[in-house]
Amino acid sequence: MADKPTDFIDQYQAWVRQGLEAWSRQFDPKAEPAPGAPSPDIAARLFAGLGGYGDWMRSMLGGEGPAAPFAAGMPPFGHGQGAPPDINDLLSMPAFGLTREQQEEQQALIRAWLDYLDHYQRYQSLLQGVHERANAALREQGAPTDAESLRSVYDRWVNLAEESYGEAALSDEFREVYAALVNAQMRLKLLQQRQVERMAVQAGMPTRKEVDTLGERLQAARRELRQMRGLASEVAALKAEVAALRGAGKPATRRAATSKKARKS
Amino acid sequence: MNGDPFRIDPARARAEIEAFQRKLEAGLATLKNVGPIEVGTTPREAVHREDKLTLWHFKGEKPPTSRTPLLICYALVNTPWMIDLQEDRSMVRNLLEQGEDVYLVDWGYPDGSDRWLTLEDYIDGYLDRCVDVLRERHGVEAVNLLGICQGGVFSLCYTALHPEKVRNLVTMVTPVDFHTPDNMLSHWARNVDIDLFVDTMGNVPADVMNFAYLTLKPLRLNQQKYIGLVDILDNPKELENFLRMEKWIFDSPDQAGETFREFARDFFQKNLLMKGEARVGSRRVDLRKITQPVLNIYAEQDHLVPPAASSPLGGLVGSKDYTALAFKGGHIGIYVSGRAQRQVPPAIHAWLADR
Repeated sequence: MADKPTDFIDQYQAWVRQGLEAWSRQFDPKAEPAPGAPSPDIAARLFAGLGGYGDWMRSMLGGEGPAAPFAAGMPPFGHGQGAPPDINDLLSMPAFGLTREQQEEQQALIRAWLDYLDHYQRYQSLLQGVHERANAALREQGAPTDAESLRSVYDRWVNLAEESYGEAALSDEFREVYAALVNAQMRLKLLQQRQVERMAVQAGMPTRKEVDTLGERLQAARRELRQMRGLASEVAALKAEVAALRGAGKPATRRAATSKKARKS
Repeated sequence: MNGDPFRIDPARARAEIEAFQRKLEAGLATLKNVGPIEVGTTPREAVHREDKLTLWHFKGEKPPTSRTPLLICYALVNTPWMIDLQEDRSMVRNLLEQGEDVYLVDWGYPDGSDRWLTLEDYIDGYLDRCVDVLRERHGVEAVNLLGICQGGVFSLCYTALHPEKVRNLVTMVTPVDFHTPDNMLSHWARNVDIDLFVDTMGNVPADVMNFAYLTLKPLRLNQQKYIGLVDILDNPKELENFLRMEKWIFDSPDQAGETFREFARDFFQKNLLMKGEARVGSRRVDLRKITQPVLNIYAEQDHLVPPAASSPLGGLVGSKDYTALAFKGGHIGIYVSGRAQRQVPPAIHAWLADR
């Protein structure tokens, strides 16, 4: 039986080798360009290679890319990726009948989804602008006198891109677009949650709203309990103080009474 | 200028890619042999537990010389183990070596049942009870409090509300002015509908928080860092250091929804701490009530809490004994860099010892 871990290592190494050899061939001075291939663009080849490494990293990690939290959201239930061209007509149709509320809910959900896609597009345009300005800055810098390593080209590009991004990210426009995107995503998510809640109710399952309400009440009760315990311990301390004062007072009273008697006799 | 912006020698580029390939191939062997990645290396014992919170007491190799315990209040974002990442990068270990008696508030990992915890629950509740545990344990009226980042904001609020329980206050990379022009996080948060956000998300997932942090410097943190990783793939020690930091970065707790709502709205959006209008529950936080000695340490290259966000503290507190200390490094470097190990804990200890 084949040793599975070794198989995996072999596959991994073959995979890495294959990918990087393809990348490396791009820089082989002896390599003939493919017939009809566009003129060589070193920057594109360099970054294509790095992009491949990034994809490999992500596939190794088995997770989604870092853009996932703001990537285009799931379309509403029952809808594909593309909205039909006459969607606005459908969305403005009045709802009626037994499922009137669900129809309105669905319309609101689709509107929220379209709105979210608009904001996502605006956000992507801003990022595209950042990328273009970084490339322009790189061209502006021009080539150094001596040949440079791929790494130094890459680092130079990252510096310029981060600089360009930093400027954009602190702009009023970015702030507005970023917030609009987050708000649109939350509106969409909230409507999706409502649909899930309705389905949960139909299936006789507890909903998040119910669990949240329980949590809120429980937390309020715990605060109240702590407050009461605090008061109780204050009362206990006061009682102890009073008892101590009384205890200290008793012998003194007795002594006073005794001396009174003594004086009388 | 329209020319090619690079001057690349194809033969050299090919050699570079081949070297990169060799490193990657060899890397798997190193990765395979890396054992479990652990952080938080200094021996410790739990002296108080409550809900998800643990109050840790660290054990040094020699008994502490300081009679007043030093309580570290960490932020709610990320775990506190950045201050005890590994043996040779540990602020905790270095503070113990200086003679401090170190305790740490570890907030734990909130889940849905913690969604309704408020700033008041954290500051006037959990933190106050931890302070009381130490006061009783050590027979002291007041403790030394060291707050980090958001934990620094908590410590400022706590000290203003319970001045009698804090002897000396140390804040590290702590924002007080959330509206400085270079504060990217605060800039982005300004127009976000926080109520809608929390009503929708409930607790704020750690992944969302991490995404926001990564997008502060997207290329450096999502790509360049991992290109650089290839350079150290054949060096087990450096690789372990890298992976430890990765663990710390991504092993992060969710944020209790209501606390996030209050913090984002009142501090990030309204800048109420700076205006003297922040509230914890029904009580106003008046920083002028902080009259005990204050040491404020900030990092000069901090992209999360820029120095300008931290340095106004001196003008806000009522203390006549205020010291600011600028550290040459970043938000994380102030805990884990070699320079930090040499400079920061001795500076804290010396400052405390003088008081």
